[in-house]
Amino acid sequence: MYRQDTIMELREQLDKKETTKEELFEKANKLAHTFQEEYNSFVTIIDKPKFKDRDSLLSGIPYALKDNFSTSGILTTASSNILKDYVPVYDSTVYKKLKNAGAVLVGKTVLDELAMGGTGTTGHTGIVRNPWDKSRMIGGSSAGSAASVALGIVPYAIGSDTGDSVRKPAAFGGLVGFKPTYGRISRYGLFAFASSLDHVAYFTRNVKDSAIITDVLKGYDPQDMVTLKDDGKKYLDSIDNDIQGKKLFYIKEICDREYYKDSNDKELLEVLDKFHELLDKCRSLGFEVEEVSVDKKLLEAVYPTYMCISCAEATSNNANLTGIQFGPRGEGVTTQEIMFDARTKGFSELIKRRFILGSYILQKENQEKLFLNACRVRRLIVDKITELFKEYDGLILPASGGIAPKFDASSEKLSDRYLLLENHLAIGNFGGFPSITLPYGMVNDMPIGVNITGRVKDDELVLNMANKIESVTGFKNIIAKVGDIDV
Amino acid sequence: MIDKELLKKYARLLMFEMKEEEYTTLQEEFDVILKQMDLIGNIQNISEVEPMTFPYKNTDVVLREDEVGDYLTVDEVLSNAKYQVNDQVKVPRVVEEDI
Repeated sequence: MYRQDTIMELREQLDKKETTKEELFEKANKLAHTFQEEYNSFVTIIDKPKFKDRDSLLSGIPYALKDNFSTSGILTTASSNILKDYVPVYDSTVYKKLKNAGAVLVGKTVLDELAMGGTGTTGHTGIVRNPWDKSRMIGGSSAGSAASVALGIVPYAIGSDTGDSVRKPAAFGGLVGFKPTYGRISRYGLFAFASSLDHVAYFTRNVKDSAIITDVLKGYDPQDMVTLKDDGKKYLDSIDNDIQGKKLFYIKEICDREYYKDSNDKELLEVLDKFHELLDKCRSLGFEVEEVSVDKKLLEAVYPTYMCISCAEATSNNANLTGIQFGPRGEGVTTQEIMFDARTKGFSELIKRRFILGSYILQKENQEKLFLNACRVRRLIVDKITELFKEYDGLILPASGGIAPKFDASSEKLSDRYLLLENHLAIGNFGGFPSITLPYGMVNDMPIGVNITGRVKDDELVLNMANKIESVTGFKNIIAKVGDIDV
Repeated sequence: MIDKELLKKYARLLMFEMKEEEYTTLQEEFDVILKQMDLIGNIQNISEVEPMTFPYKNTDVVLREDEVGDYLTVDEVLSNAKYQVNDQVKVPRVVEEDI
């Protein structure tokens, strides 16, 4: 039953010589090809891997990597036409560490172009479909990584998370999605989207597997000056630590059922009901769970704050995409015309719209009102949550107000649901807080996720708490039902 | 509604062009976005707050030692450039010979 096996189970099979790394790769490769046409998880599927035996839990185990991590000699497109032929000449630190651990790369996964987007529909090689229901999105931007784990092609996949790009698709795909503290893992070789918000993050099918990956990837890297000194801990060793008396809070203004009592949105109400049922289970596990009130105006400002900061930083970060040093060369007489043409042809409409928004925000006349005020709101929000973390060990909230949307669904972008329930995960990026999503129920035969966020540098406790909560959800190690396919 | 000409100006500054209908979509999108942006202005005494540009105070940050490390060869650096001449990326002539 390879598709459902966890990292630990595969490790055991390898150690007992019940299987080999070659056999595991063959299974993953076969599944990757089998599902590709229907779900489109990959930009590149590796057919000839390089194997290395290493003393690591990940040695010999297949994984997938988002196509915005630099991989020397392997096409890396960021799912954008402007990088469609780009073959890096250096390794990202994440890829290098995984290679050194003997992990086996199965493929580079599709993302929303340049990691900007939350739908999995804007990559240059087409849309990614949700394995639980092909008429729905898996979410993004780490869409292909999420789909590859939900399909059971690989037991884990690496993504990146700037606003919720791993933790939201995890909810839509019935997966665990973990984003450690900002600086815990090096971003060297990860294509920058919004540098003050960008995190390395990953999908697994249980919390313990997330701890294993964190143990391999964490640590200081002189190539990324914001990385933290390693705390010297093995998070796997302490994953079962006692959580008795740990205190969780949820924010009334985001998930109080009373706020939505007149809503016709049955999915939303069911999500909230199940969330409050889960809180009761947390209490029976020994957690203290309390409701906390936060200024609604501050919470409503989370999404526009995110848009301002991320679009402004992205506009600047992507200025190097000119088609001169790399990428398709544009047409024109002057260098300027060549760059103009390359960028016109190389970026999709959505990316251009985001860049224009970023440019608008950075114009001298708008900087104070938009960009700097967004940075000020960021501080107020982070200060408020940090203050609450003096009393509480974690923040628990539904990761989304519903299930994965249909491809043709539209959302009311000024509604409470959109501004509060759909976008609060960006708080984790504003403050660099460790944050994890895990599946906790089904609504209309689709998975829903709960998110737990903790204090900066307290990754160990966040994993402990999530691991404990996972034990009562009844949704550990799930994969999408896609027929009788197994290898 | 935001002036379409203004949006075109921003696109030119960013060195790309969009189709006419794409500007119309963007104009409509700006309407919603600007209403969302107003929510930032709703926060009281916001101007008194110090802008935050980094998630938290990181006391670990140090500049790395100024030591020679691994570096790319010229061939590697140029491997993705479509046009090259004399170990450099080739671009159109800027200075005219006649001048």
